Amino acid sequence: MPYSFTQIEKDKTRTIGFVFSFLIAIYFLTIWLAVLLAKNYFQAESIDYEYQGFVPLSLSETLMILAIASVVAIGHWLLTQENLIPRLLKLLKAESLNPRDTYHQMFQNIIEEVSVATGGKKMEGVIVPTMVMNAFALADFEGRAVIGITEGLLARLNRRQIEAVVGHEAGHIVSGDCLSTTVTTSLFGLYNGVLNGMTKVLRGEHRVSSRGGGGSFIVFLWLVYALLSVTRLMGLLLKMFISRQREFRADAAAVRLTRDPLSLAEALYAIAYHWRGAGLSSEELEAIFIVNPQFSSLDEQGGLFPDLFSTHSPVEKRLGVLLDMAKADIQTLERSLRNQQKPKETIPEIHGDQGRHPVNEWMIYRDGTWLGPFLLDKIVTLDWLSPTTWVKKKEGNVMPAYEDREIQGIFRTRQGISSVTLDLCPRCRISLSEVYYEGLPVLKCPTCSGVLVPENDVQRIIIREDMGFPERIERVARLIHEGQKAFGQKTKIDLETANLLKCPRCTQYPTRMIHMFYSLIYPIEIDKCIFCGFIWFDRDELEVLQCLVEGARFPEIGREIEK
Amino acid sequence: MILWILLGLVVVVLLWWVGTYNSLVGLRENVKNGWSQIDVQLKRRHDLIPNLVETAKGYIAHERATLENVIKARQQAIDARSLADKQQAENFLTSTLRSLFAVVENYPNLKADRQMMQLHEEITSTENKIAFARQYYNDEVNRLNIAVQSFPNNFVAQMGGFNKSDFFELKDVSEKAVPQVKF
Repeated sequence: MPYSFTQIEKDKTRTIGFVFSFLIAIYFLTIWLAVLLAKNYFQAESIDYEYQGFVPLSLSETLMILAIASVVAIGHWLLTQENLIPRLLKLLKAESLNPRDTYHQMFQNIIEEVSVATGGKKMEGVIVPTMVMNAFALADFEGRAVIGITEGLLARLNRRQIEAVVGHEAGHIVSGDCLSTTVTTSLFGLYNGVLNGMTKVLRGEHRVSSRGGGGSFIVFLWLVYALLSVTRLMGLLLKMFISRQREFRADAAAVRLTRDPLSLAEALYAIAYHWRGAGLSSEELEAIFIVNPQFSSLDEQGGLFPDLFSTHSPVEKRLGVLLDMAKADIQTLERSLRNQQKPKETIPEIHGDQGRHPVNEWMIYRDGTWLGPFLLDKIVTLDWLSPTTWVKKKEGNVMPAYEDREIQGIFRTRQGISSVTLDLCPRCRISLSEVYYEGLPVLKCPTCSGVLVPENDVQRIIIREDMGFPERIERVARLIHEGQKAFGQKTKIDLETANLLKCPRCTQYPTRMIHMFYSLIYPIEIDKCIFCGFIWFDRDELEVLQCLVEGARFPEIGREIEK
Repeated sequence: MILWILLGLVVVVLLWWVGTYNSLVGLRENVKNGWSQIDVQLKRRHDLIPNLVETAKGYIAHERATLENVIKARQQAIDARSLADKQQAENFLTSTLRSLFAVVENYPNLKADRQMMQLHEEITSTENKIAFARQYYNDEVNRLNIAVQSFPNNFVAQMGGFNKSDFFELKDVSEKAVPQVKF
């Protein structure tokens, strides 16, 4: 990497020095102005007032203000730099990766790959659970670096494109400008909350009292409010110093790391023109993202004002540079993106009735013969089963029972080590098995093919498209789609308490799961438990939901369904 | 007066010499670091392979030739000592793995097995890391070679004993293509 470590250290010191002096300067200015105004005001208010003209502040007063400003600046600095990254992550609503989710695992692997490409810079990954597409990077003074992407980006881009995006963020981190961006945006971004609170208080107070004594208190409050607003304005001005050129440099770094300009161009195009956003509302933090989360016409312009106040470069220009490197044009890019969006070929149904996510079955060796196949809950009842009995999964290797993870669970329950009982299917009363669906573990009933999914995971599953859908799913989706036109008549589901399901996980509560539509736009009937938030989908319902959502997102596919 | 100027010149040259020497040292250490990175990733690949073979054996035990090739290649790669031997053995291992994954394509049951999918992801990731580590190593070697040979740094290099390094190259031209495994 061309960025040597000594250069990064030099940059760091420069950053600290610059930002800190800026901070002191702001505080000094605002306090100086405030004291000046106050001094003249109170002088005018005092009893033995003789008009002497506007009184400036003396040298000793100015020096004292400088001292106070320095102290306040140091306090501000320490406050904002303490626990910087965890607080920013919380503000961004970022979560750590789930090791059991195959998509998250892929993201983790990609980060490690890019880390190797940079020569060993350690970086962590986080994910923002929102459907829009964006990516960001954070760094702090201790050398900790974090790269975050949204669920939407993870689900919609292929591996090379995600690698290009991660390479771009790594470029920011390794060049050191991520550090300055993080520090400057965090300095004033955290004032928002205070200001909002103050606004409410001031509005309330204003209405309540206007007595003589209360008068000067209110003036005081307004002064503080003005002070804070000024500092906030300064924060926005600080954006001037976040160079627009960062993005070009980071794009170049990404290409140097991955040697793949076309993938980065595709990713940028997809993010900027299709699913822009970031899932949060703070405008102070927008600088850390790869593409500005808000549509900003300022970004797309050249000239002095945009150059000063915009934090991102025009997307068109960035695309132009990258496509030049790749020796391709925008039409090729659009075509390859459209090809990517077509649903993947359907994998043939392996286990017939069970669909594409078969549940495990075992053959067990006893007295010279292989018995079975058994489902897990049948195995629970076999009391001659011991840890050394030979078992074989339907298409797997022969192994002793203690090596199989799920049968292990049975032994543990027997010995009372774990008191977790197997969850039972709400309709069939046999135990649910764990299968992987769209990269996430879900519980599935082997008989009725219903699945139990945690609420948060449903969003992720909907947005991911591992495989295409078989004919019968698309048929049902089409029916529902057409039925939506006649939806006005059907606004209620007939509820009879006796038919409601009991939640398999919350067996201690007598209440049943709520039978409802997933949403009014997607009228799939589901059952939801109000205590644990898990949702039960009957056979095919989850896939139909996915198909419907996909139909709404990609009009071409929707038209296919309507044919 | 002239004495002062001469003294100043000597100090400047000395400073330049020291600076250049230190930067060459930094470059050489980067190259060594790059090589050890490659080593780490290669070893990781070696460690993943037994598990892969075990998982595949349950489904395709009859494809003995393919599996045995992978095991043999792995052993060869572990035993290789010299740089040339290592390069050759690793390239051979890559090609046997590619054949194995090509065979796996024909068995949809094996392809869809959870263990297999996870291993496939891990091995793909390790292959990428090897490629990136090689890329980083070659980039650093490039920088070192340029620094050592340009004028006037070559004087410092010769005096300090810095030499050119070799790139980690692919011997067989046909293997330059990265294994594409499409599901």
